[in-house]
Amino acid sequence: MNAIFQKVYDFVDERIGLKTLEAKLMNEPIKGGSRWAYVFGSCLLFIFIMQAITGMLLMFYYIPSADHAYASTQFIIHEVDYGWFILSYHFWGSSAMVVMVFAHMSQVFLWGAYKKPREMIWLVGLVLFVIVMAFGFTGYLLPWDQRAYWATTVGVEIMDKTPIVGDFLARFLKGGPTPGQMTLSRFFVIHVMILPAALMGLAGLHLFFFRSAGPAGPFRGTTEELKAKTDFFFPRQVWKDIVAMAAVFMIICTLAFIEPVQLLEQATPDPGEYHPEPEWYFLFLFQMLRWKIFSGEFGQFLGAIAIPGLFLLLLAALPFIDRSPERNIFKRPIALLSWTVVMIGIVVLTVSAILNREFLD
Amino acid sequence: MAHPVENLSSIKLAWAVAWSAFWTGFPFKLIVALLLLAGQVHPWEGAGLVTLLVVSIPIDIWAVGLTARTVFLERLSMEIRGPVGVSLWWQGAVLGALVLGGAYYAVGTTVAVGQKVAAAIIALIKKFYPALPIAEQITLELLLWTIPTAIVLLVFVLLWLHLFGWRVKRVVVASGQTSSASFVERVRQWDYARVPADPTLVLVSFAGVIVTLTVVFWVLLPVTTPTPHPDYPLQQVQKASKPVKPEELINKTEATLKKAEAVLAALEKEKSRETTKGKSK
Amino acid sequence: MGSVQPKIKSKVRCVDGEVGEVAHVIADPLSLDVSHIVVRANGTERQVPVSAIGAVRDDAVQLTCNVAQFSGFPELEREDYVSSKEVEIPHLEDRIRVEPGEVLVPLPVLEKNCARRSFFAGFIKVIGALIGLPLVWPVLRFIMKPMYVPYDNHWIKIGNISKIKTDDVGVQYIFKKSFKDSVLEREEDKNHWLVKASPETLKKIYRHGDITFYDEKGAVVWVNNQTVPYVAFSGKCPHLGCGYKWRSHKTRGQVFLCPCHLSIYDATGMVLDGPAPRSLDVLPIKVAASGDIEIIDVEYKAGKKEQVRIA
Ligand code: FES
Repeated sequence: MNAIFQKVYDFVDERIGLKTLEAKLMNEPIKGGSRWAYVFGSCLLFIFIMQAITGMLLMFYYIPSADHAYASTQFIIHEVDYGWFILSYHFWGSSAMVVMVFAHMSQVFLWGAYKKPREMIWLVGLVLFVIVMAFGFTGYLLPWDQRAYWATTVGVEIMDKTPIVGDFLARFLKGGPTPGQMTLSRFFVIHVMILPAALMGLAGLHLFFFRSAGPAGPFRGTTEELKAKTDFFFPRQVWKDIVAMAAVFMIICTLAFIEPVQLLEQATPDPGEYHPEPEWYFLFLFQMLRWKIFSGEFGQFLGAIAIPGLFLLLLAALPFIDRSPERNIFKRPIALLSWTVVMIGIVVLTVSAILNREFLD
Repeated sequence: MAHPVENLSSIKLAWAVAWSAFWTGFPFKLIVALLLLAGQVHPWEGAGLVTLLVVSIPIDIWAVGLTARTVFLERLSMEIRGPVGVSLWWQGAVLGALVLGGAYYAVGTTVAVGQKVAAAIIALIKKFYPALPIAEQITLELLLWTIPTAIVLLVFVLLWLHLFGWRVKRVVVASGQTSSASFVERVRQWDYARVPADPTLVLVSFAGVIVTLTVVFWVLLPVTTPTPHPDYPLQQVQKASKPVKPEELINKTEATLKKAEAVLAALEKEKSRETTKGKSK
Repeated sequence: MGSVQPKIKSKVRCVDGEVGEVAHVIADPLSLDVSHIVVRANGTERQVPVSAIGAVRDDAVQLTCNVAQFSGFPELEREDYVSSKEVEIPHLEDRIRVEPGEVLVPLPVLEKNCARRSFFAGFIKVIGALIGLPLVWPVLRFIMKPMYVPYDNHWIKIGNISKIKTDDVGVQYIFKKSFKDSVLEREEDKNHWLVKASPETLKKIYRHGDITFYDEKGAVVWVNNQTVPYVAFSGKCPHLGCGYKWRSHKTRGQVFLCPCHLSIYDATGMVLDGPAPRSLDVLPIKVAASGDIEIIDVEYKAGKKEQVRIA
């Protein structure tokens, strides 16, 4: 058995240099040693792969038509064996993805790992961040229940307020002036074809840039310390990565058990008793738009487009503005403070949105 | 001369130990919680909670012992004679219970008072500015009472860390030995601490446990959703259209009972296998 | 130039004479500078730190020590180093070029123990199983849900016998079949062939006696009685499932002919020619006094010698 395996291995190795490839992939010295703090990127990759697998499984039964999307989703939940589990895993996986993106970005930000020579990795990462959010937004419509329909309606109306291209963008997404079958088809194609392709390509680029620049390593420590702790990507970092992945996997399963996906009524332009709300990771933006300063046409533009847009631009410009080579977060008070304020802001607004529900019933 | 451990703040020391110990034990507890949930037992109440807490004790003792040794070796270049997990764990637990009790009272009071004060402040603002919109009011009120609450909570966390750090230092002073090894050597040493004496045995038994737990997971995992949709007609129609036939019912119950028996037997077998495996370790 | 770049095979000279030549260059993985050169002298390879190099010329390296001091340098422990071709250190090869030789990089201390490396490697596989294994069974069941549905044993009215004028002639009955297809309520046009059999034909068809139909549990669903002269053949060709037709053949006269691979069957359903492995499949049939025909839309696997019911 082993002899056969060895023969096959040698055959492939002779032709494509498998041994060198393997060595190059595995034997990447990590300055200062493998760390639990470095697992977030691998976890993201893992969550994405699981989303792809569960997504493909769901497509075995899902029908992207306005007449059948809802019924086929219900079919998955209530008829297909373990369908509820696969769907709930996919649902919670998307939340995990967003949380993990925030964790990964925070880690890179706090470690100062976006600084020279890693600006390109950071920029591609930001595009990936937008893609992940787009995944969440487009996927939310597919079950075609009230929640889905109204979140999409509001979301598309927000995009409509983008200057110049807004109207085009909204019509492009809706496939017309109002939501319907064309909207569902477009969201479906974007969710299952365009975004996955974009994400795979860009994630590949992200990793390639990462390998070209090398890992940043810890932001402090003497050379002697760093050298002593140095190890290769394989096996210790891979081991840490996979343990973290297993933990993420179990957390997502746990969430799927605690709160399995349940659909509301089928989508219809009459909201009935339902109070529209987006997915929780958009809640903070949603709540912000309820503020007085963001009312009126200009206010809306400010809150929905200008502020998030400027924030993203600021993030993109970050490695070019913040050019001091200092990476220790405890010596970068402005960075630490702004990170804390943004995080607290997001949490407070999200909780506010939840408390706000009380005032609607 | 002061013991070298005194150069390190107790909060930092306690944080280093407790933070990594928490994460070391976390995945194991997660497995338990997951299995409980798969069996539709909530791990945050009743029997589920008790099970989780009981299982957590040995896990935490092991995790605290492992991380404490690593931290001592890395930060203080100290080796400890004898096991430290149990003594650190119970001291941490007792301190935790005390601090938690205090925190429960203090945080509760802060929340109650804070919410009252916040409401009063809002009322005051509304007097001068009656048009205060609801969204702003909610966020403002939230901030008004959560900021003091967060501060009180933080104080208690720091208090526990300080106390725990003080106990950790006692342990180091009492049974610590300065390691003569070089830094490189010490790094190797704490890396070794993660590798068992007989790797193959550990790997094989670990794999066995995982396979067993997976089978248990499969048995427990409900095939259809545990939360049926009220408007989902398919199931209801199926239920309503079945007229009761006593004979069939009896046969069916018998069949289910037999199935349950089989499952029980299988579980029993698994259990005995598991325990024998435990013994063989 | 910050780092010395001695060439491979350059002569190495001590203050009091030549000792050998440069065999390898050792790089520091953090600073990406040359840290040592490895000098081969009389069959032994010695590690000389860069600090001992006085000058690097085109074809020679001048050391600052003498020959006696040179032999005090440690021998190279090859297993503590890896070739730069086996590690991924960004920009290392842009910084240090020693073609046609190798740059050596010290193996991290933590990677030196093989047993421990393999423990971690094994551990990775075990944890991988923890993630993958729990999904196997649910995913399998998920995929399999519609694959083994129970047979459909409903009687479907497909027409009236008044359409048949002649004995032993195939007559096509096209009918609508409505059914539940996952969440869809669908209707499809299907077709089967009926033959009003003359006594000889009937005898041939029922040569093994009455034909019994079973459900998936083996219970009898229906028995076709050999006294009924009306025989329904499934419209699915037993070869590979195409739709066949009743046609006149140049040499064989009126036959069932399948256009796909030219299987030919006579009015009794027997294979006259072509690749078909078995006769046409007879369906359960009921003919009412009014002449209405009802069948069960039984489906068999194509390409098998025996009938294997699948629907
Ligand atoms: S399918 Fe009819 S002959 Fe091949």
